[in-house]
Amino acid sequence: MTQPICPEGSPADFTEEDIKRAGDRRRVHLLRNGKGGTRSLRLLWLLIGPGILVMLGENDGPSMISYAQTGASYGVGFFLPFIALTFAMAFVIQEMTVRLGAATKRGHAELIYARFGRFWGFFAMADLVFGNLLTLVTEFIAVRAGLGFFGVPPAIAVLGALLVVVAVVLTRRYWTWERITLGFAIFNLIFVPVALMAHPVSSQVVRAFFSWGPLPGGVTAGFILLVMSNIGATVTPWMLFFQQSAVVDKGLTTADIRHGRIDTAIGAVLAAIAAIATVLATAPLFAHHVDASNLEGAAFAQALVPYVGNIGATLFAIGIFEAGLVAAITISSSSAYAFGEVTGTARSLNSPLREGWLFYAVLVAAAAIAAALVLIPNAPLVLIVLLVNVIAVLAMPPAIVFLMLLVNDREIMGEHANGPMANFFGVTVTILLVLAGLIFGITTIFPHLLPS
Amino acid sequence: MNNNMEIELQQTALPNPSSNWVYEVLEPDQLSTAKQPFGRQALNRRTVILLWGLRVYVVLMVLLVALQTWNAFHSAQ
Repeated sequence: MTQPICPEGSPADFTEEDIKRAGDRRRVHLLRNGKGGTRSLRLLWLLIGPGILVMLGENDGPSMISYAQTGASYGVGFFLPFIALTFAMAFVIQEMTVRLGAATKRGHAELIYARFGRFWGFFAMADLVFGNLLTLVTEFIAVRAGLGFFGVPPAIAVLGALLVVVAVVLTRRYWTWERITLGFAIFNLIFVPVALMAHPVSSQVVRAFFSWGPLPGGVTAGFILLVMSNIGATVTPWMLFFQQSAVVDKGLTTADIRHGRIDTAIGAVLAAIAAIATVLATAPLFAHHVDASNLEGAAFAQALVPYVGNIGATLFAIGIFEAGLVAAITISSSSAYAFGEVTGTARSLNSPLREGWLFYAVLVAAAAIAAALVLIPNAPLVLIVLLVNVIAVLAMPPAIVFLMLLVNDREIMGEHANGPMANFFGVTVTILLVLAGLIFGITTIFPHLLPS
Repeated sequence: MNNNMEIELQQTALPNPSSNWVYEVLEPDQLSTAKQPFGRQALNRRTVILLWGLRVYVVLMVLLVALQTWNAFHSAQ
């Protein structure tokens, strides 16, 4: 439990964590009350973070490999507008976590336990812990694959990434952690120059967005798997837990909800651009009939050399490494936030080590366990990567139902509860996710319903 | 931004714990030791059925993913 600081002769009853958060909030208050032409931009700079991080964090290792597989398997066509749609869905869901965090000042796991009790809380946490562990494994797969392109041995690559995760959290300051991670995350856009080097035909790209086609080969079992993987690449349970906890840790209030929305929208747009760029970057593999079904991150970069050159392939490999690294930082943080919220212990990246040691230990342990699992020889990495996204889609409907129950709870949300439009979109996304899962299930049980 | 404001922003980097400025910028629920617990929300029968239905859905789907993984392993060998 965090210890309050009570200086002599002062009525103060706050902790070091509170002081750090208050320092960040004071800068926001001063800007809000100040004047100047760049005030709104400076305010936006202070308040952005959780939304961009969650969206670019979800453009993680398995996501980028799924997008690369998509481009190599289907080229420029149906999946371009489909990916844009999935990010619109992600925005709808994540915007609710901004309001929840700002209105209640509680993390997602804490709210589920408080409002629905331990029984349902346990299920939500089981989904999160299982999903996070699997996803973290794939992040280190991406790190290993990305650095493998440069000849870095797997053990060195994985250990190096783990050390970065540890170093970033040891700043013991949410603001510093957020800015460093944002600095890493922006490199997700490295896929844009790679896409340009692949010389996509602009008329094909425009036509794809308007016609949702072509879809070479039609609806097959492989198509269903990629649809699921692409949905799982944008909407997953850890995102709900992470963004709400980060909003609380950053200290956002109801006055900041508009900026929280802008932050989330910027994140969604940037992430969609990076995702679509990845599809365009690997589309030449489809055009030249290269079999990409067993390509990992580094192998994708190697296969792209004839089409995007050595520089393009190098950038692609860096992008895969970066995607894994940023997600390893954010997903391990979401595990630690949830642990602290459920156990009532420290749950802030502003916590000093003596008070938040358990929080930091969980964060590092989550990353370390996943890093160790990645080094198991002969693991079927491509299959694991694709299935992780599928599992994320399957675990999402219950997570969204908890979210919808909480965000419609006027007792805790007051005037910031969902309106009819937000509920319509939320329910629509849930139904789409359940339908996608059912179609996947039916085609798994009856594989001959669709051509392979 | 004017000079006074710049100075004030710099001062926030060195907060003085003996002042009450923390209370002025944080809302009561933002203090880590002062959060009031929320009570339980009563779940109606329809919601409980929905939650159980989704729980069954997740378990079945995870079993299907395991089945597909098993098939993929065997077809690869």
